[in-house]
Amino acid sequence: MKPLALTMGDPAGIGGELTLLTWLRLHESGPCFVALDDPGRLERLARDMGLAVPVQAITDASTAAEIFPDALPVLPVPLAVPPIPGQPDQANAAAIVASIEQATKLALAGEVSGVVTNPINKAALYQAGFAYPGHTEFLAALTGATGKQIMMLASPMLRVVPVTVHASLRDSIAMLTTEMIVAAARTTATALRRDFGIAAPRLAIAGLNPHAGEQGALGSEETTLVQPAIDILRAEGIDVSGPWPPDTMFTAAARTRYDVAICMYHDQALIPLKTLDMDHGVNVTLGLPIVRTSPDHGTAFDIAGKGVADPTSLIAAIELAAMLVR
Amino acid sequence: MTDAAKPLLALAIGDPAGIGPELAAQLLADPDVRAAADYVVIGDARVLRRGADTAGVVIDLPVITSGDAIPPGQTVLLDLGHLDPDTIAVGVAAKAGGAFALENFRIGLRLAADGKVAGVCFTPFNKAAMRMAHPPYDDEISFVAGVIDVHTPASEFNILEGLWNARVTSHVPISAVAGMITQAAVLRGIVLTYESLRNAGIEHPRIGVAGLNPHAGDGGNFGHEDDGEIAPAVAEAKARGIGADGPYPPDTVFVRATKGQFDAVLTMYHDQGQIAMKLIGFDRGITMLGGFPFPICTPAHGSAYDIAGKGIANLGASKAAVLLAAQMAGRFVGP
Repeated sequence: MKPLALTMGDPAGIGGELTLLTWLRLHESGPCFVALDDPGRLERLARDMGLAVPVQAITDASTAAEIFPDALPVLPVPLAVPPIPGQPDQANAAAIVASIEQATKLALAGEVSGVVTNPINKAALYQAGFAYPGHTEFLAALTGATGKQIMMLASPMLRVVPVTVHASLRDSIAMLTTEMIVAAARTTATALRRDFGIAAPRLAIAGLNPHAGEQGALGSEETTLVQPAIDILRAEGIDVSGPWPPDTMFTAAARTRYDVAICMYHDQALIPLKTLDMDHGVNVTLGLPIVRTSPDHGTAFDIAGKGVADPTSLIAAIELAAMLVR
Repeated sequence: MTDAAKPLLALAIGDPAGIGPELAAQLLADPDVRAAADYVVIGDARVLRRGADTAGVVIDLPVITSGDAIPPGQTVLLDLGHLDPDTIAVGVAAKAGGAFALENFRIGLRLAADGKVAGVCFTPFNKAAMRMAHPPYDDEISFVAGVIDVHTPASEFNILEGLWNARVTSHVPISAVAGMITQAAVLRGIVLTYESLRNAGIEHPRIGVAGLNPHAGDGGNFGHEDDGEIAPAVAEAKARGIGADGPYPPDTVFVRATKGQFDAVLTMYHDQGQIAMKLIGFDRGITMLGGFPFPICTPAHGSAYDIAGKGIANLGASKAAVLLAAQMAGRFVGP
């Protein structure tokens, strides 16, 4: 089986130690992955942190599976300067970007089955001239993706897609349109069919207001924005329901009636996801020609190198990516 | 607690087409409930008898027909004789049922406002039925404020297994929320939360204050309210000696709370708290209306038309609501 590619992320963050801890957890059982990283820095990090992880540089991803049970296979992406935990260094920005580029190229070439990304620090990359808002936009450009990419968060208990993401609550509501809801739902339905093996995915569309507006008493967007989106999607043959009152649509009984919840703003999606399962949330980018997942945490500079980082989400991201590429 | 120190509470029977009557009967048959307080049960003797029959209990209470002269030291039924249960179809919202529940509640509130009872409890209402009977009915808070003519800041608290949740804004369109999140409103919410928990016997409440925006504003990247309004309110509350902290990212504040970090979470808008509380087990919880001169408690769940009349309604939340009212009644400091 082809390995997954795991990027370096910001080497001053927790990505390196998570890569090592994840190999320790998975090397006997799989799924197999190859790190796009600096082998010397991973060796030093393993030594400094007292982790028994043999690191083996390779030149061809096809050898990763054979090596994986005994050593962490690494396709070398050399760093310019040795990283210091918690202190991002602009000098390493080129390597951080190169790791993402090479992983994506390997995926497009079919040499790896998918890409799992460690967290990056955008501010540090911007200073070095990185011109994309984030990972997702960069991957879209690298893969020549058309259409809109969206973020899905998946845990064993719930899948959510926020239609608006990183904006204030006020701006999220102001920017929301019927077209955005339709586009997100279409991309989601396609991905659930293609990558998740769900033949007829059921999408639950959240309302925006308390009690889904209560017939207009508590807001009108359910009528003016959400219902028209539902009508369009239904006409396309997509199995959609809603607009649901946001506070009751995530209960155990309600969750049995859909495969994914399309949410109107960030916290409407993230509050139920994290309240149900804080540790196993995984980010999945939908709408790319390759499979891409990532853990749902950041670089965590404050705890980098201290031996307290938890690999649960990265392991979940790798396991989900492996499931999606099957 | 001696009998002399038992508080007297109003217990208003809720919507007669739902589980309200059978829950009232179950409550009156429960020894813990009876030990915690005496009650003025408000409703119609025929409805209560029907509820007792459904619940499989026998309730035999002295009957009074006016709240003017309540005999001390015992539980009595204030029989208003205003609803024949044969005229109400089980599981169907009706104007007569809504009027019955509203009148029972209104009389309970008046008894409390007049100092004749120390708190008010009610079994579940059905909002559709209440609106048939009284179209301007908005929510319990505004109804109570109107009946007792008290218009100080009030909030609905949801309480689940020791975790309290109050909110700064409630039943408003979400597009109106951000404009309502001012330093003064957040501070009012923190103080009201603090006072309500103190009234419930929690000496030093730890209050987690949620942010408004994703990641609590992410250092100013997502909106100004977290840094500009909420943080200063938390600082002012701390300066007054209140154990408040925040603003916390909205998506993890309840994760912290369920790990025991807070006694209460103050949320900025309806669904921020309601989504999380309903996942934690809200329907087993209590709703307490805080900010009035006496405690008002009810189970958080609804009138459950689907199971009404079958004798299978779970007493847990109603019992917890009444016991909380009894506990608060003895120590209550009003606004």
